[in-house]
Amino acid sequence: MKTTAVDIMTTDFSTLLPQTPVIDAIRIFQESFNQQGRRLFGMIVSNEDQHLVGMLSMYDILLYLRPKHIHVWGSMEDLEIAGVIDAAGNRIKSILVGDIMTPDVVTVGPNANLMMVLDTMIKKHVRRLPVVEEQRIIGIVYISDLFRQLLEGISD
Amino acid sequence: MAQFNRKSTLRNLTVNDAMRRQIIQLDQAKTIDLGINVLIKYKVNALLTVNSQGNPVGVVSKTDVMGAYYAGLPVESPLEYIMVSPPLFCRSGDSLETALEQMRTSGVYRLYVAGNESGDLVGALAYPDIVGMLYQYCHQCEYSHLKTTRQGNKDDSVGRFNVREVMTPSVKSIGTGETLNTVMEALSAFRFGAMLVTDENDQPRGVISKTDLALNYKHGVDPEVSASTVMNEPVSTCDADSLLEEAIKKMTMADIHRLFVYAGETSNIVGVLSLSDAARVRSGSCYACVSSRIKVDDHD
Repeated sequence: MKTTAVDIMTTDFSTLLPQTPVIDAIRIFQESFNQQGRRLFGMIVSNEDQHLVGMLSMYDILLYLRPKHIHVWGSMEDLEIAGVIDAAGNRIKSILVGDIMTPDVVTVGPNANLMMVLDTMIKKHVRRLPVVEEQRIIGIVYISDLFRQLLEGISD
Repeated sequence: MAQFNRKSTLRNLTVNDAMRRQIIQLDQAKTIDLGINVLIKYKVNALLTVNSQGNPVGVVSKTDVMGAYYAGLPVESPLEYIMVSPPLFCRSGDSLETALEQMRTSGVYRLYVAGNESGDLVGALAYPDIVGMLYQYCHQCEYSHLKTTRQGNKDDSVGRFNVREVMTPSVKSIGTGETLNTVMEALSAFRFGAMLVTDENDQPRGVISKTDLALNYKHGVDPEVSASTVMNEPVSTCDADSLLEEAIKKMTMADIHRLFVYAGETSNIVGVLSLSDAARVRSGSCYACVSSRIKVDDHD
């Protein structure tokens, strides 16, 4: 029986550097749409020593895309989306991953019990948890893998 | 968000109607580098610093970050080195007029809001949010330019402000060859949020804002590089004769705080219009409700 984070974590994951342009990260997200398998919603940001420094999710990028005072025009039906995207595209050119990533990332140790992993995901509202050992990232636990493992056999 | 279905004026609104409930804060021991991440990510001009017990102790604005860049402070320094203490508070039940008066007399653009009864931190009140609320009011008004044009009402008899009436009619600019340090000196001396960058023929080439400077600081850019290497191109502009309402729309959509205003040729820059210039004239977009507006001082 698999009982700890290290048992169910994925070791095949891509990482970004804080100094990577956000445009490059967007391209990686876009390429993942065309690939089979797991959908990519967030990527780990680590420094050259593979120390975790943050996480960049699609949400972080969309947050940056959204005009801050959009509520002023909330009732407009003829909102020009193309214009908003153009303006954001121009602005995002000088933005690096480290500028908009979420720096405080919840992690678990490799020997964390799966019930603790479950508890952490629920309490912190996260769907993926980097597994960190001596400051280095060794894998990621996804909520789908946790679901598969914990509920195996329950519907038989 | 406030409901604008009453005929009464904005004078009756309280801080609670205009404040943002999301408070952007960081421990004072965190680095300036992390502080810049938060300012960029949440598109705010300042963040609240708290001590290890979580109590508010100071404010760090983009101006403070620029000061640290100029002073050559390592970006890994703690926020407590550059924060301004203490943060200023108003009460959620205070009238907007009272809160704005407090901002004016204290020379700040942002107040933190304490609950009327509990005294706990419940929100933040910043100029851009008040300006945004004024325009929301304007947008929903029956005289709204957008409403009248949509209804095909050609006889638009309401007098409307154009950009020329509201803009600041003087623009300070800096040459493309000047250094970032010189840009920072000028921004500090004139208390501007951004500088126009012009070439040797006085043609506008780009803009450098305090946000750009904060990013360059975080990216480790030498402040002795020339303005032309980091400026934003092209310059965002609008016609002096265009409607104020259209200019405001352009700014809110593009998430920019100011437009440079041209007359005739686009290269003939005659002024600058900021979101707060628009509020300063005590109006949204037309003369119809001039007297109902609250007064907001210019800033950036």
